[in-house]
Amino acid sequence: MTADTGTAGAGHGGVIHDIGYRRYEGPRLGRAAIVRALCWHSLRSAFGIGRGAKAKIVPVITFVIMCLPAVANAVSVAQGSPRAVPYDTYIFQLRVIVMIIFIAALAPELVSRDLRSHVLPLYFSRPLRRLDYPLAKLAAFILACLAMIEIPLLFLYLGTITQAHGGSAIWHETRALIPGLLVGLMWAVLLAAIGLVLSSLSGRRAYSTGTIAIYFFLTWILAGILDSVSTGRGPITGGVGAANTGARLSGLVSPFTVLDGVRQWLGGTSRGPLPPPGNYGPLYGAMLLLLLAAALTGLAVRYRKAGVA
Amino acid sequence: MTAQLPLRAGPPAGTPGSAAAVIETAALTKRYPAGVTALDGLTVTVGPGITGLVGSNGAGKSTFIKILLGLLPVTSGQAAVLGHDCASDGEQIRMLTGYMPEHDCLPPDVTATEFVTHLGRMSGLPPTAAKERAAESLRHVGLYEERYRQIGTYSTGMKQRVKLAQALVGDPRLMLLDEPTIGLDPAGRSSMLDLISRIGAEFGISIVVSSHLLGEIEQICDHLVAIDGGRLLRSDSMTSFTQVSQVLLIEVDEGIGVLQAELAERGLRPQRSDRALLVQIETDATYDAVRDAIADLGLPLNRLEQRRRHVEELFHDNEEEARRDR
Repeated sequence: MTADTGTAGAGHGGVIHDIGYRRYEGPRLGRAAIVRALCWHSLRSAFGIGRGAKAKIVPVITFVIMCLPAVANAVSVAQGSPRAVPYDTYIFQLRVIVMIIFIAALAPELVSRDLRSHVLPLYFSRPLRRLDYPLAKLAAFILACLAMIEIPLLFLYLGTITQAHGGSAIWHETRALIPGLLVGLMWAVLLAAIGLVLSSLSGRRAYSTGTIAIYFFLTWILAGILDSVSTGRGPITGGVGAANTGARLSGLVSPFTVLDGVRQWLGGTSRGPLPPPGNYGPLYGAMLLLLLAAALTGLAVRYRKAGVA
Repeated sequence: MTAQLPLRAGPPAGTPGSAAAVIETAALTKRYPAGVTALDGLTVTVGPGITGLVGSNGAGKSTFIKILLGLLPVTSGQAAVLGHDCASDGEQIRMLTGYMPEHDCLPPDVTATEFVTHLGRMSGLPPTAAKERAAESLRHVGLYEERYRQIGTYSTGMKQRVKLAQALVGDPRLMLLDEPTIGLDPAGRSSMLDLISRIGAEFGISIVVSSHLLGEIEQICDHLVAIDGGRLLRSDSMTSFTQVSQVLLIEVDEGIGVLQAELAERGLRPQRSDRALLVQIETDATYDAVRDAIADLGLPLNRLEQRRRHVEELFHDNEEEARRDR
C-alpha cells in the first residue's frame, strides 16, 4: 500500500493533489520524557505563557508585588543602610497574601481546567501511568511557587551584595541567604501540594479558587485569633505578651504558621508572626509532614479514581 | 533519560496464526465490585482493517475498550493488542494505539493546533515532530483552515474531528473509536464515516469503531463483532453479516395471518413486526416466493421494501438460533 511508504508521491513526477498519509518514522520518547513535557507545559501555563494576555495578569502582578521589598531594599542599601529584609521570613505578611492570591488563581489553572473539560481520558489513554499526571502537575506547581518565592530572595541578595565590600561580607550574606532559600523550598512544596489537592476537588475554577482562598485565609486568621486570645495581646502583628502554651500551639492551625514554626524550631532567628514554638517545635515539624502527607494522599486518591471515560 | 523505544514497522511478525491478529482475547471476564458483570467470557479475534464493535448501550463496549488500553484490570481471562498483553504491557499498547472517547473531552479555550500538538507530545513525539504531526492530522480530518481557532468556537462535527485528530497524531497502529458519530447530524455522520473509512483503507491503520447502531457503521466495516450483556453474539466478516441483515418488509392491508402461514409453507421464516411481516432474504428466490405467495392468495399488497435490520433484531435472531440448536 502506498500509505506505508514514507515518501508517497515523491519522484514519480505526477501532479500531487494529496500527499497522502505519511507514517512517523522518527524516535518516540519514553514515559519519563512525556512526564517532563507535561510538567513543562503546566509550568508555562501557570505563568500564562502560551495563553492570552488575560492569563498573564495575576502571575505578573503577584510576582511584581512580591519583588517590591527586594527593590526597596536595594534602594536603601545603595544609600548606605544595612539590609532591611531578613532572608528567612522575607516580609511575612506580604508573602502570605501574595502566595494565597497566586495559588488560588493558578492551581485551578493547572488542574481544574482538565477536569472541567474531561481531558483526562486523553492523557490516560497515552503511555502515562495514572499517577504520572498529578505528579507532573505537582512538580510544575512547586516550581512555579518556588519561582515566586525564591526569585525575590535572589533579588534581595543581589541588591545587598552590590554594596558589600570584600569577600567576607559577600560570604556572610550568602550564608544568610541559604537558610532563606531552604525555607522557601519548604513553603513551595507544602503550599503547592495543598493548593493542587484543593483545586482538584472541583472542575469549576471559581469553586476551586474560593476553596483555596477560604482555607488559607480562614486558617491564618484563626491562628492569629487563637494566639491573641491565649496571650491577651493584639492580633498577629500586635504587641508584646507572655508566650504561654496556648500561644505556642496556636500556629498549628494554619499552613503558613506551621511553616514558620518549623523555621523557628530549626533555628531561624528572625521574628515570626507568632511566638516561637519553644518546646513544641517537633510538633510543628510533625504537623508539616502530616499536612504534606495528607495533601499528597489526597491527590493520589483523586487521580486513581478518575476514570478513563 | 530520553528512552527511545524501538517501534515495530508493521504488525508483530511472530508466530503464524497470531501474527495477523490486532486484538485477541480469551475468556475475558470483567466483574465490577458492585456485582455487575460487564464482560462475560468474551473470546474474540480482530484482524487488520476496520472492525465494527456493535452492541446496545451497556453491552460492555466501553469496558472492552478500557481493558484493551490496559486501563482496567480484568477479573479473569486474557487480552492482547498488537501482540502485547493488556495486563502487563499497557504502556506499549497505549503508545501504539489512538483512542477517541465517546464523551466530550476538549478544552474550549485553546486552539486545535495547540491542543493536538500537546497531545502529540503526550504520545511521546519530540517537540518538532509533534507540531508537524498535529498539523498533518488536522489536515487529514479536514480542519486545516480552522486549526488556529479556539476549539470552543467549533461546531459539534468539527469537535469530533479534533477528537479524531488527537487519536491520529501519534501515528498509531490501531485506533479505538468509541461512538464517533454520536451527536452528529446525518451529513456530519456520513462525512465522519468517510473519514474513518479513509483512515482505515488508505492510511493502513487498523480501526475498531464502536456503535450501538449497526446500520450506521456497517457500510465502512470489513468485520463486525457484536456483543450483548458482555457476551460475544457474533464475530464475522461484513459480507456474512450483511446477508443476515438483509430483510424484506411486507405490509398487506388484510390477511397477514394467512400470508404468514403461506410463507412458512414455502420454506421462509416470516416474523411479525407490528402490522407487517419480515422475511430474511437468503437468495433471489426469496423475492419470487414472496411475490407468488401474495399473488396466489390475492392479498392487497400495501408495501414491499428491502431494508437492513436493526442490531436488536439480529440479536433476537441469534437467541432464537441458539434456542433451536439446543
